[in-house]
This record gives sequence, C-alpha cells and structure tokens, in this order.
Amino acid sequence: MIFHSLTFVCFFVITAALYWRLPHRWQNVLLLVASYTFYGWIHPWFLALIFATTFVDYWSAVGIERWPAHRRRFLWFSIVSNLGLLGFFKYFGFFADNVVAAAALFGWELSRPMVDIFLPVGISFYTFQSMSYTIDVYRGHTHARHGFLNMMVFVSFFPHLVAGPIMRATNLLPQVERERRFSASSARDATLLIAWGFFKKLVIADSVGVIANKVFALADPDFYLLWAGVFAFCIQIYADFSAYADIARGTAKWLGFDLVHNFDHPYLATGPTDFWKRWNISLTTWFRDYVFFPLGFALSRRVHEGKRFGLRADLRIYAAATMLTFLLSGLWHGASWNYVVWGGYHGLLLVIARVSASIWRPRRRVRRYLRPFQWAGMFALTNVGWLIFREPELSMIWRDLWLSPSQSTQLQHHAGAYLFFLAFLYSIPLWIQSLWVRFVPSDLTAAVDRDEPDVRFGRVVGQGALAGLMFAAILVLRSYTTLDFIYFQF
Amino acid sequence: MTQDPGSIQQIVTVEAAGASSLDREAAASRRTALVRPVASLLLLAVIAAVLPLGLVVVNAFTVAGKQPESYLPSVFPPGPREPFDAGAVERLGRGQPAYIVIGNSMAGTRVDPRYLTNLIGKPVAGIYQPASASAYWYLAYKNWVVASGIRPRAVIFYFRDWTLTDPMFRLNRQHLDAVALEREPELDRIVAQHAQGAFFRVHAWLRNAYQYDRVRTWLLPLLEQAPIALAASRPKARRELLGRMNNEIFTLEGLREMAAADIGEADRERLDFDKNLPRSVLPELLRLAKENSTRLAFIRVQRRPEGNRPPTQSPELQEYIRKLKQFLEANGAYFHDEWGDPELPLSIYQDGDHIRRDKQRHTTRLFVRRNRGLFQ
Repeated sequence: MIFHSLTFVCFFVITAALYWRLPHRWQNVLLLVASYTFYGWIHPWFLALIFATTFVDYWSAVGIERWPAHRRRFLWFSIVSNLGLLGFFKYFGFFADNVVAAAALFGWELSRPMVDIFLPVGISFYTFQSMSYTIDVYRGHTHARHGFLNMMVFVSFFPHLVAGPIMRATNLLPQVERERRFSASSARDATLLIAWGFFKKLVIADSVGVIANKVFALADPDFYLLWAGVFAFCIQIYADFSAYADIARGTAKWLGFDLVHNFDHPYLATGPTDFWKRWNISLTTWFRDYVFFPLGFALSRRVHEGKRFGLRADLRIYAAATMLTFLLSGLWHGASWNYVVWGGYHGLLLVIARVSASIWRPRRRVRRYLRPFQWAGMFALTNVGWLIFREPELSMIWRDLWLSPSQSTQLQHHAGAYLFFLAFLYSIPLWIQSLWVRFVPSDLTAAVDRDEPDVRFGRVVGQGALAGLMFAAILVLRSYTTLDFIYFQF
Repeated sequence: MTQDPGSIQQIVTVEAAGASSLDREAAASRRTALVRPVASLLLLAVIAAVLPLGLVVVNAFTVAGKQPESYLPSVFPPGPREPFDAGAVERLGRGQPAYIVIGNSMAGTRVDPRYLTNLIGKPVAGIYQPASASAYWYLAYKNWVVASGIRPRAVIFYFRDWTLTDPMFRLNRQHLDAVALEREPELDRIVAQHAQGAFFRVHAWLRNAYQYDRVRTWLLPLLEQAPIALAASRPKARRELLGRMNNEIFTLEGLREMAAADIGEADRERLDFDKNLPRSVLPELLRLAKENSTRLAFIRVQRRPEGNRPPTQSPELQEYIRKLKQFLEANGAYFHDEWGDPELPLSIYQDGDHIRRDKQRHTTRLFVRRNRGLFQ
C-alpha cells in the first residue's frame, strides 16, 4: 500500500477511528493487524520475512539476557540472520553478476544462476531497526522484552515501515508499551504535517522527477541538460524522501507516536559534516552508532601512534572508519556500484573536511563571511553526489563529469536553462520553508515542522489556511505523472 | 466511646458527595481542556476544506470558467484542445491505400509501409503514434480511415498482450486531440465504465466541488511556460523552444537503450477478458468494420525474449489470448500471434519490446510471410 492512494486514506481513517476507541492492549493488536495488512498488501509472502526477522531478534534478545555466557553467540545469530536475509533478497543478483564478471576477467566462464529475486520493499529499513534492538540489548542500553506482540508492533509499525525513519528500540518500544491518549492539538499538527508531505510529494517531487527522468533517459545529454537534470533530481529526492518522512511522522502522531525527525533542511548545510547531520538523520546515526564507533574503536587498538602519510593517528582512524562506514552506507542504498561510489565520495568529502579543519580553522568573524561560499560549495558538491547516485552506469558518470559547456549547442543551452528554471520554480516552497525556519524560527511556516501543544486560535487559523492552500495546490498543480517514492527501492 | 452510626453515615455521605463533586469538576475541567483542542482541529479541517473553494471564484472571473467541454467529459476536464487533424483524412483519401497499419512504436519499429508496398505491390499507409493505445487507434480508424471514404482491403492493428481491451491505458489527451471530433459519445460511454469505482467517484466529487481542473488547464501551461523567458533571450528562440526540445532533443533516437519494457506485467484484473471486452473499443471497432465492409487484422507482437526463449506468459495471459483470438475470429477478424516465432530472437530487439531499426525490413518481410492469407 502506498501513502498517496485512496486505499491508504481509507485504510488510515478506519484504523485511526477504531484505534482511539480501544484499550491499550487492543490498540497494539489493531496496530499489528493494520501494519501486517499494510505490508502484505502487495505480496502476502512479505509477511513471512518480517515475521521471521521479528522472531529471530525477539528470541536472540531473550537469549542474550537469559544465558549471558552465550550472549555473543545470540548477537551474531541475530546479525547473521538479518544481514543474510538482506543479502539474499537485495544483493544476490548483484554479487552473482560481479562474480561472473570477475571470473570472466580470468578467462573462466561461469553461468549466472537464473534466479529472479523480488526485493521486498522496506526490508533494508526494518532489518536495521530490528537488528539494532538486539545490539542494544547486548550492549545493555535496553532490556529484552517478553511481550512478543509489542515486539511485532515495534518492527512492523506501518507509518514508517517501508522508508523510515529507522527508529531505535530505546525510543519506539517504550512508546508501544505505554498507554497513549488522544491529543487533538497533536492531531492538528499531524494533519498539517501530512498535508505538507503530500504537497511535497505530489506537487514538487513528482513534477521535478519528470524532468530528471527525461534528462537521465537521454543517451548523450550535454552539459546544461545534464546539470539541469541533476538539479531536478536533487530537489526530487529531498522533496520525495522528506515527504515520506513527514507523512510517516504525521500518521504516527495521529496514533499517539512520535517518530524522530529525519531531515533538517539539508540543502542549507555549509559542509559535509553539517550535511550528514541534516540528511536521513536516522540512518546516519544508525551507521554512526553501530558501524562507525565500533570500527573506530577496533581500529584504535591496531593503529600505531605517530604520524603516517602526514596524518596523526586519530585522523587516520577517523579516515579509515569514515570511508568504510560510508562505503557500506552507499551499498545499503542499493545493489549497484554507483551507490558504493556515492558513499565513497561522501566519505572522502568528510575526511577532507576533517583534515582541512585540523590544518586551518578560520576565526569566527571570517567564518561568518565564508558561510555563503561554504553553503554554495556544499550545494554544488551535493549535486555532484546526486549525479553519482542517479546514474547507474559508472562509465557515464565519468563522461558526465568531464562535460564542458563549450560543447553544447544553443538549443541545448536554452533547453538546459529552461529545465533548470522550471525545476527551481517548483522547488520555491522548499526554499521558502527552509529559509523561514532558518531565519524566522517561531512563525507560521515553521509550524509545519514544530509541535506546539497550546491552542492559539490565531495560529490555528493560519495553520488551516496553510493546509487549505496546500490542498488547493495539490488539486491544481499536482504532476500528471505519479512516481513511486524513491526510497521504496532501497 | 461509641459513635452514632447515623453520624458515620452522614460523614460518609458528605465525603461521598464531596468526592463526586470533585469528580464532576475534574470531568468538567477535562471536557473544557478537550473542547479547545478539538475545536481547533475542527476549525483547521473546515478552513482547509473551504479555502480551495476559492478556485470556483477564480473560475468565475477568468477564462477558465468559459472553457469548452471536452470530447470525453467522463475523464477529461473542459479546456482548450489541439485541432482535429482533418489533413489526415484528405491524405488517406488521396492515397487510397489497400492496407493500413495502425499502432504505436511496436508497429512503427516492425513494419515499414514503403517497403511493404514494394513487397506486396499494393499501397500501404501507416498510422503510427508513439505511446498510443486502443482509444487512439479506435478514433484514428473511425475519424480518419472510415471518414475518408476509402475501402481498404484490411486495416491492421499491432498490439501488446492486453492493451486492446484496456481503453484507459495511455488515454493521453495530447495524442487524442488530433483524432477526436468535437464529441465522442461512444468512446466516452466506454471509458465512463472504467471511471466508476470509489476512486473515480471521489475524484468526480472533488472535481465538481472545487472545479480545480478548469484552473489546471490554464495555470499548469502558464507555469510550464514561465521559465522560457529566462532561458532564451530572443523572441523567436522562446517561441520555438518547447517544440524544438521535443523534436530535436527528447526524441526516440536520443534516448538511451533500456532492456526493460515500457509496460509491465498485467495484473489479474486486466487479464479478465470476459469482464473487459464489453468495456473496450473492440466491439465498436468490429461493428464499424462490418458496416464499412473492411476486414480488420490484429497482430499481437512478441515482447522481448528472455535469453533464447520467448517471453514467459502467465496462465492467465495465455487464457486471455486464447479468448481474444476466439472472439476476433468469430467476428470475422484476422488474428496472428508472433509469440514464439523463431525468427524473432533477442538479437533483433533494441530496447524494451522495440525492434532494431536495421531489422525493420526483416520484420516487414516476416510479416508478409507469416500472414499470406491477409494479402491474397
């Protein structure tokens, strides 16, 4: 089931109406039924996978607490099961193709196993979420739960099931376990959040997505067309992914849950570190806590003190751990080399930023003047990253990066400029919202992003007007083409 | 010391009365605490629902309110349209083709009309509209071929799998304008049958209440044309930009090759032949052909092979094709299925289900060889 469908609207209205008439335990039963209906809508066999993941992690956590002597075995059982499931469904074809290609380099002819594996949507999200629970129990950050129902709701909670944000057990499980009370003011904020999400998806993301798809379907785009397409994709992916996160947060809020913010106006970032504090925050922090820190810790025991390659030991550890983490994060996004390169590219940017900061740190006053340049530079670098992300053929990426504006015809120049301005026109509400939050944090547009429990009717009228405007804009300006949420494929 | 039982009763009663009054106060204060947030939620919903009614006002004061009804009012909103291409009728009348091939890029990449003319020694015309489907083919046949007054020996339709019985598939106004008359009641009746579910009812209700489609018909083009002024400085370049972009940059030849076809696997709903037949253009096409004593032929193209094998067909698809063939032949039409033809290997395919340009003559010859009955 997808958010932008009448089926989902009916499903959600019925679920929410029933939900608030039930006692706590039955609310959880309803959430489980709703979540499994939501997920099994496309293919009922998806349910077997999510159930298997839940079952394994539930018993692994119980095992970790009950048999401390074997806790490491239970942890590895959980990790291997989750990654095995993910690896088989998501990466089998990719690895098979690469093994065949690598063997061909040595003159061995291997035939690829003819297995067509259908990637279950959201598998990358819920396996990571479920696995983090076992790791947290192992680390003692939370305790093993003995209510299987709550655990099933935690793993399958439908608002964020297929495209995040990835919630931690320490955050979501207590919300599943405690009594929830209906709050009209929370529902009001949630409605606005959902309206904003639909607006971003149907008006902005789908409209600019058509531009990006057209450009990336060209066999030989010139400089102007290519970068107009990249800019359109840059807007599309943010509007699309953040729209999903907003609708997820809004629907969860209606049910009395608080999901974490997944975006914090990433295109206002002034550097790579700042960008990753603002983009897909739940995934970034997941990789930080479960990959980067353990890697850094493991490396710190092996790396010798003193300078190597002109770098201090701590910088070398940071560089190695960052690169590995981001290469894995890239691979998480999809079974294709361009995602790995994209991860590596961002890892490299982070390392360069860290090393340069250790060499030269400008004074505060200078930093203020530098900020517009830093922002522009980071936005340009982000777009280079999106080119790598969007273009599945590595040879094309290389070709694209060497394109020169002088090779373009006047028509291509005009067409590129036209598509760029068209994409910019559609993206204006995003920029307004980001800049408003940045410079006027407590006003109307910021309400879309902030919870305010007290009722001020002036503000409610403003929010209603905003929701009405978004509704009217969706009716009038929605794209002719409806595209799937991009992160569904991951 | 003994206590009067009556006084104890009194104390208990007084305490109970006090407690119940406290409860009532608490309940009342809870209700008061709830009233404002609930009222705020309702207020938000009302404002959000009422504000877009402003679109109706906009329509009353702009050209949008005076837009002509569309030729398919069940699915297309009122609005300006491209003119009907009367020139095509004239061209067909002049050319007097003995055979006419109608289809989209499936036909376009498989049959070269000029080469076919040479092969069979009789004039052949091709009506090819990329990304078109059965609604377009029906209107092209009715309003161009039949209207031209010619009596071709056969009109040949190229189609993929289930596309003949789904008139909603690629029901694209941009293409249809050229083949549609001012009113198309028959096609409208057919597509209206597909626009009857809950989704369409909600859609129709919203459309009537807010009249947003009328605003859409002028606002979207305005929005899409606004950046032209920023992109090109000279007026001539501005005027020509969109047309040249479509004709010189975003052409079929300019696209990169992709193995994946542009249509996916059909669902069970689409493969229910008995249910979909009365809701398709097929009965109407056959009726028109009968009236005009023209033979219709339907060629099902073979989609992209899988390695050395023809494409996999689900049992539902096989059943659908069997019923389609039976129906067409029972109504005097000719049917040929390319599926499994050994002379259509993967190597002659370009991208998706398209045939390589340099193999078009091969597939044209193959068409003649496989369908000799049609040309005798």
